[in-house]
Amino acid sequence: MVTPTTSRATVLSPEEIGFLTAGPGRAAETALARLLDAGVVRVARDGRVSPVHQSGGGVTVVETRMLGRLTKPVQFGQVVQASANSLEMRVLQQGLRERKLIRNPRPRMRLWWIFLVIGSFLGLAALTEPTLLVGTAALFGASWWSFGARPVTRAGRAALEGVTGDDRVLTVALHGFRGRVGGRNVGDLFELPQSVVNTVPRKNRKRTDNDGAGYGSCGSGCGSSSCGSSGCSSGSSSCGGGGCGGGGGGD
Amino acid sequence: MAGIEDLGVGIGWRPEIDLTVERLPGVDFVEVVAENLHIGHLPESVALLLERGVPVLPHAVSLSLGGADEVDLHRVEHLGAVAEAVGAPMVSDHVCFVRAGGLDSGHLMPVPRTRDALDVLVANVKLAQANLPVPLALENVAALLEWPDGELSEGQFLAELVERTDCWLLVDVANLYANARNIGTDPERFLDEIPLERLAYVHVAGGEQHGDIYHDTHAHAVLPEVLEVLDELCSRVSPPGVLLERDDNYPSDAEIEAELAAIRAVVDKHRG
Repeated sequence: MVTPTTSRATVLSPEEIGFLTAGPGRAAETALARLLDAGVVRVARDGRVSPVHQSGGGVTVVETRMLGRLTKPVQFGQVVQASANSLEMRVLQQGLRERKLIRNPRPRMRLWWIFLVIGSFLGLAALTEPTLLVGTAALFGASWWSFGARPVTRAGRAALEGVTGDDRVLTVALHGFRGRVGGRNVGDLFELPQSVVNTVPRKNRKRTDNDGAGYGSCGSGCGSSSCGSSGCSSGSSSCGGGGCGGGGGGD
Repeated sequence: MAGIEDLGVGIGWRPEIDLTVERLPGVDFVEVVAENLHIGHLPESVALLLERGVPVLPHAVSLSLGGADEVDLHRVEHLGAVAEAVGAPMVSDHVCFVRAGGLDSGHLMPVPRTRDALDVLVANVKLAQANLPVPLALENVAALLEWPDGELSEGQFLAELVERTDCWLLVDVANLYANARNIGTDPERFLDEIPLERLAYVHVAGGEQHGDIYHDTHAHAVLPEVLEVLDELCSRVSPPGVLLERDDNYPSDAEIEAELAAIRAVVDKHRG
């Protein structure tokens, strides 16, 4: 089993690291990675996941629920997706919220920059008419508000600092099955055919009104994709300061 | 049969464990259920194994050669086509019937061991052989009942079948063990009576006792007693191949590997 990882003063489970890194989809991938790593489930070439007979159960509630759904073989991507949408995942999310590692994200408004532009003009005008400073401040405030806020808090990002992919489960937490580390596909660490890995839905990078809305029930606290495609997907073994959120899925 | 003298130790390829089969060490050959394969669309895993040079042997379950119904030549042709698609040196089915009167039993039903039933079986086997591109091997089944008025022992029945059809034998030691437990077959007498020089290869599988009945489930671990029957067989003849069958409740890769190793140990013990 992968031991919980301590970062600064916060102890995070691999699933929590996955969640903070890229949302519930990534946490679900991490749970599946742990089950694969422990030999509790196996994957067939056609992508169907099935439990290994008498190989033990899940360690976490997310894993246990995931296993409970495998009364018959289920496609790899569907296992992840169902888990990302599960009640157990919302419990995990709630736990992170209570620890103030995530918060309700504030969606970015499409025209957030208009407040900034108008506020800037007003600020210039305020050089000659100081009473306009109030409006300038209000517009800058509106710009800040409409820019949105990432669901992972500063504390959440701090907790992720220094987390590295010491083993293949943590590597999935940080990069997803679809990610690449050191020029190698993460899925290869589990000897998974790329066709299987590709069943994990891609993270939806397009921001929506709900933000962090990749697949899965991001709801709130799914993370936004501030890391984009470079920070989380390749090369380094750590996502750095976190904030690599998104709806989940792989990088 | 040239080319299959030394198959080694193998495992039944099943889609649920295809990646396991691919990466397990010590898999010298595999067997596929012919009815589950489509010509022109072989599973990627089977194609990969073929590329690696792993022999793939088609095993049928639906020819119903022991039945009184006419042999369904479409099924025979499919089996032959699968054999050609995978370049198999031989194919196999069972000494059984699975259909009668338009009904499908869903099970491999034992054939009455009478001379009349043997005549029917021989005729069906010859018809199948005439329509197959490769030799046919036939497997002893696990029976939960014996038909009344049997005239031959199971060994004698198979020996005569081989003599009259020139077919090969696929001896399932787990079925032999099950028959010993359930209907009193004597494994040693069985092995004494069958022509071991016509042995194509051997099946090994796990099972479980339920009440008074031993079930050849292919879903449980191989019992030491089954390996003892294999040991008895290997003391008489060096089998060209031995194959582990597992069809459900697939255990870990390590457990499957251990079962293969246990089989190999029995085989190697007699090869010196």
